[in-house]
Amino acid sequence: MTAMTRILIRHEFILGILFVIVLFAMASQNDRFLTTANLLNQARLMTEVGLIAIPMTFVIVTGGIDLSVGSILGLCAILLGVFWQNLGLPLPAAIGLSLAAGTAAGFANGLIVTRFRVPPLIATLATLALYRGLAEGISQARSVRGYPDWFAVLGRGDFLGIPTQLWLFALVAAVGIFVLRFTTFGRTTYAIGNNEAAAEFSGLPVVRTKLLIYTASGFISALAAIVFVSRVSTTRSDMGSGIELEVITAVVLGGTSIFGGRGMVIGTLIGLCLMQILQNGLSLSGVRGDGTTVVIGAVLIVAVLISNLLSRFSSD
Amino acid sequence: MSRRLTHTLGSLGQEILLVVVILALFAFVGVYNPRFLSENNLTSIFVGNAYIAVAAIGMSLVIISGNIDVSIGALIGVLAVISGLLVTNGYPIWVAWLAPLVVGAAINAVVGCLIAYARVPSIIATLAMLSILSGGLITFTGGQWISGLPAGYQLAQFRLLNVPSPVWFMIGMTILAGFLMRYTTFGRSVYAVGSNPEAARASGISYKATVVKVFAIHGAIGGVAAVLFATQLQVIQSTTPVGLELVIITASVVGGVSILGGVGTVFGSTLAAILFAAIGSSLIFLNVSAYWLRAVQGILILATVLADMARRRRTG
Amino acid sequence: MTPILELKNITKAFGPVKVLTGVNFDLRPGEVHALMGENGAGKSTMIRIAAGDHRAEEGEIRLDGDVRRFAGPREAQAEGIIVVHQELLLFPALSVAENVFLGHQPKTAAGLVDWGRMRREARDLLDRLDCPNLDVDQKVSRLSVADRQRVEIARALSRNARVLIMDEPTAALAEADVKRLLEVVRRLRSEGVAIVYVSHRMNEIFEIADRVTVLRDGVSVGTKPIAEVTEASLVSMMVGRDIHQLFPKEDIPRGEKRLELRSVSLAGVVEDISFDLHAGEILGIAGLVGSGRTELAQTIFGVTPATSGEILIDGKPQKIASVREAIDAGIAYVPEDRGTHGIIRAQPLRENVSMAILDRLTKFSVVDTGREQSLASDAIKRFSIRARDARQRVGQLSGGNQQKVVLAKWLATDPKILILDEPTRGVDVGAKTEIHRLMGDLAKKGLAILMISSELPEVLGMSDRVLVMREGRLSAIVDRKDASPAAVGAAMMQGRREPARAGAAR
Repeated sequence: MTAMTRILIRHEFILGILFVIVLFAMASQNDRFLTTANLLNQARLMTEVGLIAIPMTFVIVTGGIDLSVGSILGLCAILLGVFWQNLGLPLPAAIGLSLAAGTAAGFANGLIVTRFRVPPLIATLATLALYRGLAEGISQARSVRGYPDWFAVLGRGDFLGIPTQLWLFALVAAVGIFVLRFTTFGRTTYAIGNNEAAAEFSGLPVVRTKLLIYTASGFISALAAIVFVSRVSTTRSDMGSGIELEVITAVVLGGTSIFGGRGMVIGTLIGLCLMQILQNGLSLSGVRGDGTTVVIGAVLIVAVLISNLLSRFSSD
Repeated sequence: MSRRLTHTLGSLGQEILLVVVILALFAFVGVYNPRFLSENNLTSIFVGNAYIAVAAIGMSLVIISGNIDVSIGALIGVLAVISGLLVTNGYPIWVAWLAPLVVGAAINAVVGCLIAYARVPSIIATLAMLSILSGGLITFTGGQWISGLPAGYQLAQFRLLNVPSPVWFMIGMTILAGFLMRYTTFGRSVYAVGSNPEAARASGISYKATVVKVFAIHGAIGGVAAVLFATQLQVIQSTTPVGLELVIITASVVGGVSILGGVGTVFGSTLAAILFAAIGSSLIFLNVSAYWLRAVQGILILATVLADMARRRRTG
Repeated sequence: MTPILELKNITKAFGPVKVLTGVNFDLRPGEVHALMGENGAGKSTMIRIAAGDHRAEEGEIRLDGDVRRFAGPREAQAEGIIVVHQELLLFPALSVAENVFLGHQPKTAAGLVDWGRMRREARDLLDRLDCPNLDVDQKVSRLSVADRQRVEIARALSRNARVLIMDEPTAALAEADVKRLLEVVRRLRSEGVAIVYVSHRMNEIFEIADRVTVLRDGVSVGTKPIAEVTEASLVSMMVGRDIHQLFPKEDIPRGEKRLELRSVSLAGVVEDISFDLHAGEILGIAGLVGSGRTELAQTIFGVTPATSGEILIDGKPQKIASVREAIDAGIAYVPEDRGTHGIIRAQPLRENVSMAILDRLTKFSVVDTGREQSLASDAIKRFSIRARDARQRVGQLSGGNQQKVVLAKWLATDPKILILDEPTRGVDVGAKTEIHRLMGDLAKKGLAILMISSELPEVLGMSDRVLVMREGRLSAIVDRKDASPAAVGAAMMQGRREPARAGAAR
């Protein structure tokens, strides 16, 4: 085990303890909280944010950020509805095209960041506006409803007693963990975040890696859109707005440095769960939905402060 | 032409371009549909959007200093509600007008401290603030609009020399801020900090103090914008205008403030805000759905950013 | 006469690395005091302490005979101690006048920035520096390096500099600009300004300095009036030993031709370079900073691919369009800027050493950590890297050990051609000798080595042949037996012309 992962494990350890404390606190507050039904339902609600958080971990480890994920989600949801209802395509084809559109949107982000060397923050802020604008323009504020029953299985059904989308999420998370932890691609991701120039001078494929990561971020955002639409069985152009905040909070809370170079997918998963039970617990104790976003914002700041503090201890 | 004049014109390139584009847009849409140039429409363009131009002034300061603020839309919403609640609860009108400035400065000073002293990147600190402010606002007001505003409170509906007061505010604040940025040592140190923080330190300029001041001023200017926003109608919406922060950032960036810091003037951002207002209005007169407005903004900001990067690469 | 500035018994360490030990230095009004020493001898640290940027752990700073403690650069500046930094700390987006006065702008009675007076005073200062053509309203981003430096000096003067510290001011200047700069230095001296002049260049030192102090390994070796030293005595003060004793160069028979360049150019930077490099040979590249040495190396290595010309490896033309292709062709490059291009400080030694051969350490793109671990352990043994273990982060190692990590990383690629750019910069004397010995061993094993160095003794001591560059062109190739400091030095400087000034046409 490396010195770096030792510190990360420590961060995750702290987080894990925090998670358990919150779990017990919530359970003692409300006996509806610690039930299998509630927890599985929370996991279901968490899936869209969770899916996007996996590639976002990669993005932030490279020292970048992707603010456009919520807009890509909205755009792909709208496109799904438009392809299916307005163009009359079969639903599987509409899903395929929608995923392709999300992938293309992510690829465009990657191109702007790598080819034109626009800082990721600004590039994705611009495409956040653009993709959301396209979603609004294409939908003209009309929503699409009446999806077939088989489609609802993905968002509302179960498989082997577990919500269907959770299997999908588990698969994406497993791939994320594996790629970042064990492969050359993951190594390159860390190297870029820690010292991009040195990575380039070592012959690592810096541009290709970044391009792939932003593209994956677009693809997974589209996937999240499909899950989202299936879960609520409607499409609206404002879907997923503000989701980037929740995603980034989960990633940073999970110990990934916002300056790049450090972070693990496992941490992101813990951060994600912590956030979700915090929200759920609060709403069970009577705090309204918007109140929980206040907590998320506060948690994000505290998470960055702690991570800054930790990195100061471990810096050379 | 003297050399100095050439330099001045050269550095105002973006501003001159904007004036030309605005005039061309007015001429084009005016020919297509003369009602576009009616006094009524022109007044509504300026009065309805002056608060955006005012807020963009503060945003320009923030971006010139090398930071960004995505919480300004939510802040304006919160400050407008504070102002409205004060006046409907019997506080003097001048208190309701001034309180947003003070509260805005205070809130953003805290944000500035997080950025400067706790090394939280501005995008994270302000994303978190966006969440806290917008969530807090809805939780607090329950989404209820504030009505029953006293007559003398409607600052944005006043006229001076038959020109609506928001226009005076827009022009006055732009000139004031332009003066501040050009003729005070504080203004120059904002440019210095954004241009080369290391050199600024070597020149004895405090990065931390400058950033905190910039955010506090930005918050106070946001307070002015909030008062204009709150007093333009007979009611105050208690939700934050969706995507307002993006419009404001876009105005700054399209107005010639470089995303990489250190470059730009406040005049450009005001012109860009006018341009956006005119585009929004002209869509209606050109029979284009207003739902495309955000897509147009997205394209504009993306094009400006790409042009900025290309220009930087050329001149080094 | 009381010295204006005096450093007594200064000691400074960064973590475990002691940079200065009991250094003494004094500066009199109206003198140019040269400060010399090899890279890593502690010059920069000493300057930073004098300017209030660093604080010494021991020793005292006296200003006009009084002991002072500077809390930061601002306090030192207030006393008129100003540094003209090598990297020129300017604001590219702002005008010349503003760059000169930022932080202490002239103000009107109302407390506002007085642009008129600022521009006039900037004009006066620039005229005093004999640059009437420099426009005070021009943006600094459009100026040439020489002009930027004048702006930096004008800025120092605007703060009423009594002590002016110039850190390698001529490193990036062409000959004509150097002459003008020395003229300015003389003029300032005659006005009573005391100047610390840091430079590697002997001829400048003899032309301008009144006294010279030499630092070696963080210790002041001695201070002497310029009349009492010669070039040779200065070199031996800096190096501490005789050159031939220091570089035990063995004669290795020249092998086959490994690398050949045929009029290789990188548009606007490197022009028309042709040479060949043989197995077992160490080819040194000498030249001033900015002469295109590093650019040439990075062109061969595919960082900035050549825009014209041909590169042949083992006699066969080879297209090198990226770093990857260069590595695959058997080229390795140990970069000049170790911190930026060589190591990843935050990552463990193991991951640094394996970085350039990750693709060879993988099965189905999964990194084989076992092989990686043994690679790293072998490297620690072979190069005697002083690290706790292979998991230690590279940022925690000393400069010399970091450099060994970079060497290990590149030798792991099993290269045929090794390019070393400033291989011993910022490395302590012990590690330096080890690296030199390693170079000899590698050459003996048939590696072809291209070595760039700013240290003439190193170039002369280690190379079989010396390739001299000047302004992006090859100016001479000198054989070992003919390579004297005078011959190589002359080829480096000779007939330098002033490059076209950027922005002059605008």
